[in-house]
Amino acid sequence: MTSAVAHAERATRASGLPRAVRRRRLLVSIADHSLLIAAAIAFVAPVVFVVLTSLMTNRQALSADLWPQPFRWQNFVDVFRDAPLWHWALNSFLYATLATVGLLVSSIPIAYAFACLRWRGREVAFMVVLIALMLPPQVTVVPLYVMWAKLGLVGDLWPLIIPNWFGDAFAIFLLRQFFLTIPSEYLDAARVDGCGELRVLTRVVVRMGKPAIAAVALFSVLYTWNDYFLPLLYLSENPANWVTSIGLSQFRSLHQVQWNLTMAATVLVMLPVIVVFFLAQKAFVEGVTLTGVKG
Amino acid sequence: MSTTAATEALPAAVAADRRRARRTANRRRRLTVLAFLSPWLVGFTVFFGYPLVMSAWLSLHSYDLLTPARWVGLANYRYMFGDDPQIWPAVSNTLWLIAVSVPATVLFAFGIAMLLTRARTGAGVFRTVFYLPALVPPVAATLGFVYLLNPSTGPVNVILGRLGIEGPLWFNDPGWSKPSLVMLGLWGVGTTMIIFLAAILDVPRHLYESAELDGANALQRLRWVTLPTISPVILFAVVLGVIASLQYFTQAHVAASVAAGSATQGGSTSNIEIGYPEGSTLFYPILVYNHGFRYFNMGYASAMAMLLLVVAFAVTAIIIWNSRRVVHYQGDAR
Amino acid sequence: MRRKAAIVVALVGLVLAAAIGAAGSPAASERATVTNLTIWVGWSARELNEFKKVVAEYDTKKADVSVKVVGSINDDKITAALRSGNVPDVVSSFTSQNVGVYCPSGGWIDLAPYLKRDKINTNIFPATTRYYTQYGGTRCALPLLADAYGFYYNKQLFKKAGLTRPPRTLEELTAYAKKLTTRKADGSLDVVGYDPFIGFYQNSIGAYQPLVGAKYFDPAGRSSLSKDPAWQRLLRWQKSLVDYYGHDKLVKWQTGAGDEWSAPHAFGRGKLAMMIDGEWRVAFLAADHKGLSYGTAPMPVGNKSLYGAGYINGTIIGIPKGGENQDLAWDLVKYLTTNTHALASFSNGIRNVPSTAAAAKSTELKPDPNFAAFTNIFVHPKSATIPVTPLGSAHLETFTSFLAKWQAGKVKDLRAGLAEVDKQIDAKLKQSGGGVP
Repeated sequence: MTSAVAHAERATRASGLPRAVRRRRLLVSIADHSLLIAAAIAFVAPVVFVVLTSLMTNRQALSADLWPQPFRWQNFVDVFRDAPLWHWALNSFLYATLATVGLLVSSIPIAYAFACLRWRGREVAFMVVLIALMLPPQVTVVPLYVMWAKLGLVGDLWPLIIPNWFGDAFAIFLLRQFFLTIPSEYLDAARVDGCGELRVLTRVVVRMGKPAIAAVALFSVLYTWNDYFLPLLYLSENPANWVTSIGLSQFRSLHQVQWNLTMAATVLVMLPVIVVFFLAQKAFVEGVTLTGVKG
Repeated sequence: MSTTAATEALPAAVAADRRRARRTANRRRRLTVLAFLSPWLVGFTVFFGYPLVMSAWLSLHSYDLLTPARWVGLANYRYMFGDDPQIWPAVSNTLWLIAVSVPATVLFAFGIAMLLTRARTGAGVFRTVFYLPALVPPVAATLGFVYLLNPSTGPVNVILGRLGIEGPLWFNDPGWSKPSLVMLGLWGVGTTMIIFLAAILDVPRHLYESAELDGANALQRLRWVTLPTISPVILFAVVLGVIASLQYFTQAHVAASVAAGSATQGGSTSNIEIGYPEGSTLFYPILVYNHGFRYFNMGYASAMAMLLLVVAFAVTAIIIWNSRRVVHYQGDAR
Repeated sequence: MRRKAAIVVALVGLVLAAAIGAAGSPAASERATVTNLTIWVGWSARELNEFKKVVAEYDTKKADVSVKVVGSINDDKITAALRSGNVPDVVSSFTSQNVGVYCPSGGWIDLAPYLKRDKINTNIFPATTRYYTQYGGTRCALPLLADAYGFYYNKQLFKKAGLTRPPRTLEELTAYAKKLTTRKADGSLDVVGYDPFIGFYQNSIGAYQPLVGAKYFDPAGRSSLSKDPAWQRLLRWQKSLVDYYGHDKLVKWQTGAGDEWSAPHAFGRGKLAMMIDGEWRVAFLAADHKGLSYGTAPMPVGNKSLYGAGYINGTIIGIPKGGENQDLAWDLVKYLTTNTHALASFSNGIRNVPSTAAAAKSTELKPDPNFAAFTNIFVHPKSATIPVTPLGSAHLETFTSFLAKWQAGKVKDLRAGLAEVDKQIDAKLKQSGGGVP
């Protein structure tokens, strides 16, 4: 805090402005930082308390105590004994990977067709894609469930994975916006060289569109890992196929509400995403920025 | 003159050749487009078009997936608009969410982003701190918050109690349950915040400089330079927020069942109160889910889905229509 | 580029292989003669282990069958399974009123042919259990042990307050509750004498109805919540006690009361002096709170002539439609529901009321002074259960939603509010096309 103040002071002094203005700027800077620090504390506090609770005994978790006494690291072992977290994580991983791969494989060519190929009805069709984007899933969920039930696939991960292999509206939208920014000279050059559209797509567009593709992949993985509604619908009566989101929400009723264990399970479910974030920070932030700017 | 006839015939033949070549090229191009689009065409029909039509058809029937569908005409709609006691709470709760949480999250995200652009030291750390909660799985985050806001033993009320303040009942109080959900939403505002951050940083310097020269102070620069320039991004955030509110399910579903303490063993399930407490967390998607997949009134759930479709369209159309007046695009796209 | 593509393809292939492997077949038995049966039950933890012991005995007796027990099942999962076609071989539920949904739709198959083939007379089951295991002429379930709800009181706290015997009327209950309640320095509740909050632990409207003898439906099959004055008497009594504590103070106390099924249970810890609960609580207290000095009795009633009665219900068990091994499934059902030894040992294990006359008289039953009160409640002529309708438990949910508002003080005119609930229940009945048999 003091170094920030000193830094700000130096900056204002260096700007050569009159003292009164410099002081006001300093105060504003302090105010800004104070607000930020207060907000940051408010943001971090929930995680801190969850972690603290995950280290308490069951009885202490139910009391008004804020600090674990003693620290019960055993809880994290108990969670694995009480709930098949690894199995849930494997199911989540399967769902996330298969869905994302399918999404990319199908959406990239579709976005290419919307962005780099000219055909009649292209703009109208894109409007239709946008409309699909705005639709709440609850509108189509009942007939889809009936369809999957008749196919005997309810209880498996397939009803969740298969639709992603036919293009995803958000991915198509994002990729199309990005592909539009690729200068047509590159595409024309490749076409003149004798490349068919598929080659143009793989040689030029995919290579230049890597940031967008990475962003779409990241979002898809995040979305499927955190998905609750669709797994609740299709997997809830088949515990063998539960994903982490369902498993965590059911953990309470499976284990007679031991809050300390529930919080430990919560910490474990939060961990993978946080780890991945720290490993792929740049990609995350770039990806998010991309969606906003191109959106 | 044979030469002129010949020279006329030549271009015509070449032209005909060219036309044929163009036709085959066109056909090939159309086939390529079709091939590229084929997943979307199949997907759109099977996962979008067909369900929409089926939803409409089902809404005129009574269907429970065990016995064949029974035609009931408009009975489902009559019940929905007349006798269903839960429809109006569901609709009003969802509308409340749109009216309160969308502005709250947009304003909050914008505010934090503005602060971040002005802070020099530690911006990276702050950014991480504010973004990370957005990555936390919603179920985990909801469980965490319900525990934190437990009226008697949760840390928030314990700390408030030590400060001499009697904390509210949060998720157990019908007046506080929705604000608690909004707080949970604000905690996860990181993605929107990063988007705003990038957009604010993207505003061209020269606009600020010329405004300063014109004598604008910080507030005026905000109002007349920053906001208009990033208005497309604000619109984007608002539209996304509205879409999310119309599908809001996970957090409300988990929070209500955890706060109600409804264990699912031993006691009969007639203790389950959807929208605990007192129907305050009963949002429209949750009611659709209940009717479709707990009571298996699939015909009625389809009727509700039809209404949701109409409302989703209407709300999005209204926003986009009104946006024309306030959104300025910098160098319009093609 | 090609290398990357190859890597991606290899990865996808690996993942697909894993997926097919994981989603693929469950461990199939090597010996072709052993059939795997799956049974779904609602119990979990300790009670589930007791059930597994009973099933294990069956397994050893029958070499050609291997039974897998899945616990923590609730009715939502059963309904979903019936629709999706992924059904187990045998299924059981704690919500007996859902037979109104399961029987007519054929979701649970009609057991009458099996009962006739094996010459089982359903009179071996008590009358009430026969009532809640069939609907519309179809018997699609059998009772698997039964439940009776009674009154638990903390003898130590009674002694401290100078109370010598359990209360017998609702008015006495209120007086006792006020005497036994203590508050903390900041005014919040510490020990609650009796918590009347609907939705807390086993306080459901179904459990309270037999205490005043109120009727859910009139003879014509219409909802009579507003017409039977007993309901209003019950609800006014309930609200007056809630108001004594303060609605919000009670909610706050409840959130720290400890989950119903785990060790920090408020009654076990001495934070709740009296409560209404099922007979299974005896087993829970023996397991989690051995040192607690408590007593059991019938619930206090609104009308002296009803004393000794209580809410009774039970676990129902049946065979879902679409199962592959229905004959073998029936064998298991028959064993669990009619074999005296199985019923007696299971009853000892989870302390539920035996559901056949023979089991009730079995010498294998371990006597327990606290449990004895419940067997009496079970056979009391005025004890009642929830009526079975095609709505299953949907009408109770409607009523409970109203009660949440009532006890929060948001209903000005009780009779008008109840009339509104009647209208909603009647509308729902009409939509589902049925009435009370």
